[in-house]
Amino acid sequence: MTEPGPPPGGRLRGTPLHDWHRANGGRMVEFAGWEMPVQYRSGIVAEHLATRRDAGLFDVSHMGRFRLRGPGSEAALRRVLTNDAATLAAGSAHYTFLANDRGGAVDDAYLYRFGADDFLLVVNASNRARGFEWIEERLEGGVRLTDESEALAMIALQGPGSERKLESVVPAGSLPEARRNRHATVRFEGGDLVVARTGYTGERVCFEIFAGAERIESLWTRLAAAGAAPVGLGARDSLRLQAGLPLYGHELGTDPEGMEIPIFANGLARFGVRRPGGGSEFVGRAALERQREALARLARGDAGASAVLPRVVAPIAVSGGRRPLRAGQKVLHGDVHAGYVTSGTSVPTGRDDAAGRPEMRPIGLVLIDSALRFREDDPARLRVLDARGNESDAAIVTGNL
Amino acid sequence: MGELRYTEDHEWVRIEDDGIAVVGITDYAQEQLGEIVFVELPEVGDEIERGAEAAVIESVKAASELFAPVSGTVAAVNDALNDEPALVNEDPAGEGWFLRIDTGGDGSLDGLMTEDEYLRYVEDLG
Repeated sequence: MTEPGPPPGGRLRGTPLHDWHRANGGRMVEFAGWEMPVQYRSGIVAEHLATRRDAGLFDVSHMGRFRLRGPGSEAALRRVLTNDAATLAAGSAHYTFLANDRGGAVDDAYLYRFGADDFLLVVNASNRARGFEWIEERLEGGVRLTDESEALAMIALQGPGSERKLESVVPAGSLPEARRNRHATVRFEGGDLVVARTGYTGERVCFEIFAGAERIESLWTRLAAAGAAPVGLGARDSLRLQAGLPLYGHELGTDPEGMEIPIFANGLARFGVRRPGGGSEFVGRAALERQREALARLARGDAGASAVLPRVVAPIAVSGGRRPLRAGQKVLHGDVHAGYVTSGTSVPTGRDDAAGRPEMRPIGLVLIDSALRFREDDPARLRVLDARGNESDAAIVTGNL
Repeated sequence: MGELRYTEDHEWVRIEDDGIAVVGITDYAQEQLGEIVFVELPEVGDEIERGAEAAVIESVKAASELFAPVSGTVAAVNDALNDEPALVNEDPAGEGWFLRIDTGGDGSLDGLMTEDEYLRYVEDLG
């Protein structure tokens, strides 16, 4: 996880749910200048499984939320984001990036459209200040950009049982249409919530909910009372990692050698970068179009495209051993250094062992030679080396869910 | 059986009647680490120095080490932890022991904390 130092003055920030976490067994840690629960008493594995089996409840108010309003908003977002805000309907959301001219990620983000001239952009906590400046410097006229991160709180409710739990606290029939990325305004205790069908766990039934900071604790406690399990940052990370979703600072940003990771090293780039051919110009366009083409060539087995995308991200699973994978570990193919683990942990398989405990297996994401990623003849057998020289056998897999 | 002594790194050690030191991590340590998913133990016969790394402990979150609270020769390791590392979480001062160290009669526990001292130490950590 990206962990820059605390904010100036050394004081950590707390979300509007900070006191609730402390009073309810949250083990608080520093994360990107915030004091956040890494887990509750139940532990990371139980929280991970609760999300997969029923419903997990996450405080994600530490993330950055920017509002853009005014007649110039759409044009501004079309210039500064890689996805095309013009194709986004009111009541929908999409994945997007803030790219630099080299096609590297300043951040990845989610854009929600409320109306013709009204958008909300959610960015990573660690990039909040940088992202705000990045956008502000690139604004032309007719846009009001405001940082709503304090006034507007945000929680996530994820997992197969989450819809039933959410329905129990809001008016019947008020949830957004059951399609990913739809959102709707929903009444709750005399005020409004924005409920979106988005998430970061790989769960098909998923919600992220925005509410005024003064209303969030009531919503949270009612969802918890309905049976949603509070989940800390530990399981938030293991869930996204099992789903193969990138995290800025690991799969986006710079690699362990300090080299910038091209956005298209991540498969999700296909959904977060607009297709070529549209008329509008945006930051990073030329580099991203080269990357998209290189990825298509690599997928066809044309290793000549590896100059543009030397390494790409892939999920791996360890065969045999129990030692968890960790970010920064070296990956070898034969005796050749082929890349690095960018994120690693152990996750529950969903089965129990003989003693009735959750069975665990080591998984990770790697940034690996692109030629290896796309070879079809021989699923690449990899060796992962830890800092002590221990070795685990692993292989690229289609997914770890 | 002697009473437990504790290190600032949250290991416990107990000198048995035969002079062998049994070593593990404390309940506070296992709680802080979270679910333990892998343990790497030394080989029987390894010589270890007080304060040196004697075992590796991997939880879902992170890797950490067990440091030897006494010097000597590894007399036994708890092989059950290879298949059931969760024993460390479930019973850190019993079934979840890590290793037995033959101190060669020099099982000095100087500088280690008594249980009362350790509990106060942990309390001060917050």
